[in-house]
Amino acid sequence: MTILRLRRVEKHFGGLPAVAGVDLDVEAGEILALVGPNGAGKSTLLKAISGLQPPTRGSIEFDGRRIEGMGAHDVRRLGVAMVLQTPRWFESMTVEENVALGSLFGSVGRRPSLSTARGHARRALEFVGLADRAGEDVASLTLHQQRFLELARALAGEPRLLLLDEVMAGLNDTELQASIDIVRTARRELGVTVIWVEHVMKAVMSLAERIVVLNFGQVLADGEPREVMTDPHVVSAYLGDEIDIHG
Amino acid sequence: MSGISTQSTSASRALELFGAYSPIALTAALLALVPLRYSDSRTMMTVIIIGMVFAAYTIAFNIILGSTGQLFLCTGALAGIGGFTSAILTSKHGWPFIPSIVLGTLLASAIGGLLSWVAVRRSLDAIFTGVVTLAFSLSYENLVLGRKDLTGGENGLRVKAAADTILTTRVAPYYVFLGLVVVYLVLYRLIERSHVGWAFRSLRDDEVAAELSGVNVTRYRVYAGLIGSAMLGLAGALFAHNREFIAPTTFAFGAVDVRVLVMLVFGGIGSMLGPVIGAVALTIVDEALVDFAQLRIMLYGIVIVVLFLGFRRGVVPSVAALRERLTHLGRRSTPAAVKPPGSTPRS
Amino acid sequence: MKAVFLDGIVLGLQMGLLGVGLTLIYGLGGVLNLSHGQFAVLGAIVMARVLQHGASLWMAVPLGLLAAAAVAVLSDLTIMQPVYRLRGEARVLLGLLLMLGVGTIIDGYLEWKYPIEALNIRISGDPISIIGVPMRVGSLVASAIALAAGAALFVFLRYTTFGRATRSIIEDEEGARLCGINPALVRTLIFGLSGALAGLVAVSRAMTSPVISTAGVELTILALIVAVVGGLGSVSGAFVAGVLLGIVNTVSAFYIGTYITTIVLLAAAALTIVFRPAGILGRRA
Ligand SMILES: Nc1ncnc2c1ncn2[C@@H]1O[C@H](COP(=O)(O)OP(=O)(O)OP(=O)(O)O)[C@@H](O)[C@H]1O
Ligand SMILES: [Mg+2]
Repeated sequence: MTILRLRRVEKHFGGLPAVAGVDLDVEAGEILALVGPNGAGKSTLLKAISGLQPPTRGSIEFDGRRIEGMGAHDVRRLGVAMVLQTPRWFESMTVEENVALGSLFGSVGRRPSLSTARGHARRALEFVGLADRAGEDVASLTLHQQRFLELARALAGEPRLLLLDEVMAGLNDTELQASIDIVRTARRELGVTVIWVEHVMKAVMSLAERIVVLNFGQVLADGEPREVMTDPHVVSAYLGDEIDIHG
Repeated sequence: MSGISTQSTSASRALELFGAYSPIALTAALLALVPLRYSDSRTMMTVIIIGMVFAAYTIAFNIILGSTGQLFLCTGALAGIGGFTSAILTSKHGWPFIPSIVLGTLLASAIGGLLSWVAVRRSLDAIFTGVVTLAFSLSYENLVLGRKDLTGGENGLRVKAAADTILTTRVAPYYVFLGLVVVYLVLYRLIERSHVGWAFRSLRDDEVAAELSGVNVTRYRVYAGLIGSAMLGLAGALFAHNREFIAPTTFAFGAVDVRVLVMLVFGGIGSMLGPVIGAVALTIVDEALVDFAQLRIMLYGIVIVVLFLGFRRGVVPSVAALRERLTHLGRRSTPAAVKPPGSTPRS
Repeated sequence: MKAVFLDGIVLGLQMGLLGVGLTLIYGLGGVLNLSHGQFAVLGAIVMARVLQHGASLWMAVPLGLLAAAAVAVLSDLTIMQPVYRLRGEARVLLGLLLMLGVGTIIDGYLEWKYPIEALNIRISGDPISIIGVPMRVGSLVASAIALAAGAALFVFLRYTTFGRATRSIIEDEEGARLCGINPALVRTLIFGLSGALAGLVAVSRAMTSPVISTAGVELTILALIVAVVGGLGSVSGAFVAGVLLGIVNTVSAFYIGTYITTIVLLAAAALTIVFRPAGILGRRA
């Protein structure tokens, strides 16, 4: 089943196209890696899907509904959760409250009660391994833990589509493996579909089932990981960026 | 913290409720004692009654500015909408007291919600909020001055509907307005503890993260505009009946907005009791400076500049934070009470 | 009707000049100057005092402009400094509140020292007929001043090095810095210029009606509305918006009553924000 369908999606900033006509179909349950050189438009595309920066043109259909004109909060409530490239959180709230907020307002369907939301938050925190930090300030967490916190806030609403923007940048090997496991488990247990922007090729090659390469705002290649990453077009697009599919 | 609330028994829940509402009870008890000292002086009773009215205004303003970061520069005008509506309906159209107050409250609420809605759906909303609310203040003032047939223009308007009620006695009105303040404080706490309060906190901390978490930032800002403006309108309407006479100056920008802002910043933006503390403090200061009344406005201006340069979180919270830092060296101080709305541009 | 229209243009040119001063500062520093009107009134009162001491207009006007410019520069160099260290909406909100404080100080001072002072400039001469409407000389001189100031500003921004530097900062502060332009210096000078423009508004206004010492808040609000309708940061937008709103203002005052004019202006600002947030000349957002 196709859960997300993009048609001729464009996003312009002051006349310059950051995303220049993207067509994409994503199957339910897929883990799709979105890669491409810096400035290719990956983050912009995710923000367009999430409603944070509505596209200039084109249509976005999630689960059979057009969402391109909706606000980010409505998109989230339909079951599309996004984790941004740089972590953002609520500084007046504890770790647990941060995650509970994601359940309270970001759940599909009816808004849960405060205590239910706290319950969801604790489950989500356990899921990402932050249960013991529940009562602390977010500022006291490491960058990697802050990303996990955001992941927990996204998962707390039990979304059906998860948009992740470079959540694995700068992690050491253990942390990287932990992240990969979390995404995998989330897909297995919650059946969530994942679109995931990543530069860390090692992680991409171990987790992704499908790779879409974006270059100058357009889809350059789309398919099986090994196939795509050895495609000469892709290799030349990455010229200058190191590309090392074997990690 | 989470460990406790996981196994929250009814006893600990009762304790938590006590913790949440006892400060209000304590404040009410203390304020209830004030008239014991002043009850034989009509002048002083008027002073402390107005102090209570301003405490009510400031709590309302705190819901708008403190909880959701909207700089409403029309608190006086919104209170005036409540006051003049109720006064005109009772004196010119023979309405009974209570329905006129209800209508004044609703009208203020609708206007405040509309101003919020206009300004807040765009980026640059701090600017647009400032502009539309200031423009509304001026519109209101010109309307009051221009529609002499209804408002009496510069000559003002007699308000007689409450002439034989306790609202116009010497001491009792103080307790009426103290009751209003208590109701407002309880409302503030109820909101704070409900999902609405969670939404307020999230959008004040980070609008983008709030949107991404499913919070409809615009809607909750408008809620704050509706609620706070209703509270202003109600306080203004009751005040009009208490004074028995209102004029353009009763709710003028210079007389209300600047004072309310100073009270809020002094007491602490975004804290429950800050507005009351600020109102009490400013009432005392004003009374001490009563012989220099002409200097007052200029002093308020200086206080605004100094407070925002030096104590952006409010004087009381800053001092409390300082003390905390001295006693718990090494531990983080209290979270920012006020942070201007989300500090990232949206597109 | 023609007379109402012409009066609208006279008022509109003043409003345009008022909005331009505000919009310049906003474009440069992201600060919405909530004491712009008070700067104008301050200048007016200085002129009035100087005139009372028997000095000529040629003496009084420069002194008044200088006073307004000086207060503006002083604000920029002192309390605005912490504001410039902030970014985004935090900067906007703090700038707004601090300038509100400054405006309140000026208001309070004038109310205390000169509660009934006013600036009145009478220009003698017989009315001059414009498209069949006899116009007072004062109105014509006032309009000429506003037009000349607008034209001078246009030439300044387009054809002088300093003006081009100013525009480049309005468009892209970071880029301008990289080109070796010192934004802080430009900002300070533009603050001064904006103050002087405020003073000039007082001069031209005083030729048609007295500028009283309590007019500050009202002038500030008019400036805000004009700047928003014109698109914040757009100098030409502010002028166009000023003229349009001036006409709207006099027409609605003529047909309904003065009390309605601010409501109409408020509505204009609200509609602009809802439908064309970049201003009447701006691109649709
Ligand atoms: N808010 C914005 N305003 C103007 N231009 C923008 C904005 N956001 C992105 N861009 C531009 O759009 C293009 C695509 O940016 P985007 O952030 O989507 O790239 P990316 O593929 O995520 O890159 P990276 O790998 O560095 O994160 C870039 O040229 C960028 O400068
Ligand atoms: Mg990116």
